[in-house]
Amino acid sequence: MTQLVWNGLFVGSFYALIALGYSMVYGIIKLLNFAHGDIYMLGAFVGFAMLTSVGVIPASMSITALLIVLLLCMVVTGGIGVGIEYLAYRPLRNSPRLAVLITAVGASFTLEYGVSAVAGPNPKVFPVRLEGDSFTVLGARISVPQIVLMVIAVLLMLGLNAYIQRTSMGRAMRAIALDTKGSLLMGINVNKVITWTFFIGSALAGAAGVMAGAYYGKIDFLMGFIIGLKAFTAAVIGGIGNIKGAMLGGLLLGLLEAFGSQWLGGEWRDVFTFGVLIAFLTLKPTGLLGERVTERV
Amino acid sequence: MSDNVDTTRAPRRIGKPASRISRLFESRQLGWAAFAIAVLFPFVLASNYAMSIGTTAVIFILLASGLNIVVGYCGLLDLGYIAFMAVGAYTSGIIAKAWELPILFTIPAVVIMCILAGLIIGGPTLRLRSDYLAIVTLGFGEIIRLTANNLAITGGPSGIYGIPGVDLFGLDLSGPVPFYYFCVAVVALMVLGSARLGKSRLGRAWRFVREDEDAAEAMGIHTYKVKLAAYIFGAIWGGIGGVLFAAHLSAISPQSFVFLQSALVLMAVVLGGMGNTRGVVVGAVVISLLPEFLRDMGNLRYVIFGVVLVAVMVLRPQGFWPSRAYEPEKLDEARKGKRDGGPRPGAPVTTAKGGTP
Amino acid sequence: MKLRIPKALAVGAVAAAMLATTTGCGGILGGGGSSSSADTGPIKIAAVIPLSGSSAPTGVYMKNGMQMAVDEINAKGGVLGRQLSLDLEDGACDPTQAAAAANKAVSNGALISVGGYCSGATLPTLPIFNKANIPMIIPAANSQELVNQKLPNVFMINGTGTQQAAAAVKFMVKDGVKSVALVDDNTSYSKDIATETKKDLASDGSVKVALSTSVTAGESDYSSAVHDIMGANPDMLYWTGYYQEGGLIINQLKAAGFKGKIMVADGSVDPSLVKIAGSANAEGVFATMTQTPDTIKGAETWIANYNKKFSSAPGPYSTQSYDAVRVAAEAITQAKGTKGADVIKALEGINGFQIFSGPLKFTPEHTLSSGGFQILVVQGGKFVLKDALS
Repeated sequence: MTQLVWNGLFVGSFYALIALGYSMVYGIIKLLNFAHGDIYMLGAFVGFAMLTSVGVIPASMSITALLIVLLLCMVVTGGIGVGIEYLAYRPLRNSPRLAVLITAVGASFTLEYGVSAVAGPNPKVFPVRLEGDSFTVLGARISVPQIVLMVIAVLLMLGLNAYIQRTSMGRAMRAIALDTKGSLLMGINVNKVITWTFFIGSALAGAAGVMAGAYYGKIDFLMGFIIGLKAFTAAVIGGIGNIKGAMLGGLLLGLLEAFGSQWLGGEWRDVFTFGVLIAFLTLKPTGLLGERVTERV
Repeated sequence: MSDNVDTTRAPRRIGKPASRISRLFESRQLGWAAFAIAVLFPFVLASNYAMSIGTTAVIFILLASGLNIVVGYCGLLDLGYIAFMAVGAYTSGIIAKAWELPILFTIPAVVIMCILAGLIIGGPTLRLRSDYLAIVTLGFGEIIRLTANNLAITGGPSGIYGIPGVDLFGLDLSGPVPFYYFCVAVVALMVLGSARLGKSRLGRAWRFVREDEDAAEAMGIHTYKVKLAAYIFGAIWGGIGGVLFAAHLSAISPQSFVFLQSALVLMAVVLGGMGNTRGVVVGAVVISLLPEFLRDMGNLRYVIFGVVLVAVMVLRPQGFWPSRAYEPEKLDEARKGKRDGGPRPGAPVTTAKGGTP
Repeated sequence: MKLRIPKALAVGAVAAAMLATTTGCGGILGGGGSSSSADTGPIKIAAVIPLSGSSAPTGVYMKNGMQMAVDEINAKGGVLGRQLSLDLEDGACDPTQAAAAANKAVSNGALISVGGYCSGATLPTLPIFNKANIPMIIPAANSQELVNQKLPNVFMINGTGTQQAAAAVKFMVKDGVKSVALVDDNTSYSKDIATETKKDLASDGSVKVALSTSVTAGESDYSSAVHDIMGANPDMLYWTGYYQEGGLIINQLKAAGFKGKIMVADGSVDPSLVKIAGSANAEGVFATMTQTPDTIKGAETWIANYNKKFSSAPGPYSTQSYDAVRVAAEAITQAKGTKGADVIKALEGINGFQIFSGPLKFTPEHTLSSGGFQILVVQGGKFVLKDALS
């Protein structure tokens, strides 16, 4: 029981990190960034490339090396996210949503198969592996790497929250989410803020990718697809556009999945997850923490 | 394939008069020309291989024209369209195998199942905003595939095999060339049907809903019912495509109904030109044959697909061969300058004027 | 609208039927078809194998094995005085692509087929080759569904899922395992072995199935399956899927403190399994596997030749693919021609032809009489022979 809860929370923290990017972008420009899950994959591959090019890393240095790579990867994936926004989404800022969504699907394809063309279709083994002892708390087996990753995830989320709440850029983001035109009139550089939003969202997803690579040890070019869908589901559960909602939704989805596959059997887990998504969208489209959205399309 | 001159167009055309090339492209004879090409194709190349990819392409045209009803006419982004094809293929496969029926006799059941699937998927979701709808359809597509993978009646992961070929009044049409012609005949009729649907009263309502749902509702269109109708028609087209697919391959498995396939059908519709049957047919032929020509390029072809998709949306969002009826409106909009995203109240009025019978 | 369709449909159908009969009977226009395969010139051997997609690495092993056999036979003067030529078509492990590839092979004038790796993608190719009356010798794909089709032209020289399950059960009993957890990845190949193993265990009775579950392929986190396995606490886990997920499950199981034994099926026998699981975790993992070059006695020269020719080591299904070509050549020699029916008869009559798994004789179901499955174990990061089960 406690084991299930812990498993759920651990997986859920990955979902939450990715869901944040979805939610931020959606909250600010109402775009469903379909390629977001692939940024997660890209993060893992960028980390892989960096670590492989460095060569052999002594075991004692692996955590330090990993943290450095994590930060570098966040910068790189953040930059790629900005690039995608600039090339694929910005020209369509005033187009119908259908067009932008299709562009997002195209961007997702380009990233997935671009990586597969460059790195090859075979799964890759991550060069650095987080290993560590594990111990039992309240009947749940918890390992040190899991705790390290959870702490990193929580720190990233707290940092993001502080950024959104305390800085002027964060305030600008919230203002744009409320009223784009109004913020423009108040002298906010909307394009710059959107660029930053993409940068932060993509950086978080990239961080999640590196963490997944280091923890699970295997990465492949399609790893972002399903987790992207799951993260979207998490964002919807929490209330899309709401930062705290994304975190809550991620953890909740992790728990739901852990218990869902326990009750229904592993092969029905994804059916269960998507069922939850559909149920939420039909019954409570605003999610748990979302505000009423009056705008219609 | 058929003529697609939109009679709903406002009588007063805005913009330049059509050039000679445009007129050629609008010609009523084009559908016949395409049909003739399809019919004459085996006279040029009749190897099993050519027939096989020809048949696949023809089935793909059917799928694209079905998705065009949903995405092109009605503007509902469906990212799980292949699920309807799965429903059709599995229904016909299961029934044909269980009662040893000729596959054509399963079509009524397939149509019923597809209507049901359309209602089940569309019913709760069509009230959603468009981007939510996209994800929900994707989720449903995955649910259908996973369910087929998990259930015993659908043969689990190995699927259903040994599905009989087409047999028409004792005439065996399961050989490569006869089956190709059978598919061409069925698909030609279905494509004609979808083009006609686009021009019907319902089709005008669809376009109206696509352009401005609020205005459509204000004009007395029951938008929910109209959208559901689009969904159901799309489902039926997909289901028939599934029957042909099952008869063509003789074996179906969940692997054939992955998201990639939905995305490919969507690409055909978008590249060809949403809402224009001719464009969609051309798009479908290109998308289904291109992988065969790019066989040696492996995964790179999907990179190209992705880039083309983005490029088309950025540079020519209406597709290569869009429905002409909307160009005046586009010009109109351009003149008024760019507006903020979201509903555009002014633009659709021209359509509305023409669209009211 | 709806009312008008039937009439139009009928008209269209009649037109199509007329066209079909005229073209069909008029002798296929524009050439093509299997008629182009003359009785002289090279004998075309087709192989639909994955050359792109996630199974492409295995496809390369198979391709090299086939090429080696073809070159050897051609160097000795070919078959019936004719050279062999290999026609490789990419099936990409995708049913639609594989069907197109099989049709392409038939159109190219193939006389015999030696391909087939992914069972799901091989299934739709069977009727295509059957209709063209082309014998198929399947080197790798081994789902029971292929046997269940009961097509006369299909021969399998890899052990079937049933045989693999039997070998697994035999080893479990021999090893004194009392309870076992069966985990599959919900693909055709994997589920087949799991189901057959469960059946065999039920009839044997001495080993209890503590858990039987499926996971979704292509994910990273298998903690819920691991949780289930830890809860069931079996003596042995039998993973019937591929190495990508197998490596992760082994890794996560060991991290969770699993003390039981672990066995994997032949889809997981790959060096990457050890890398993904971590070499310490993979140590002592058993596997049910048909012969690989490494485990065959007296195959050293063959391996050396392979290394020299392709400057890489042979891998899974290199030997079976090599054998498939040799069996094809043998059957054509015995049939004294390439006519499908004669070659099929010759294949059925083969008795004692030496292949890697031993003297060849097909059962009435066209499978190997014994699958040739043996038990491997990971030692020092490599799969080595543990028990030949004979």
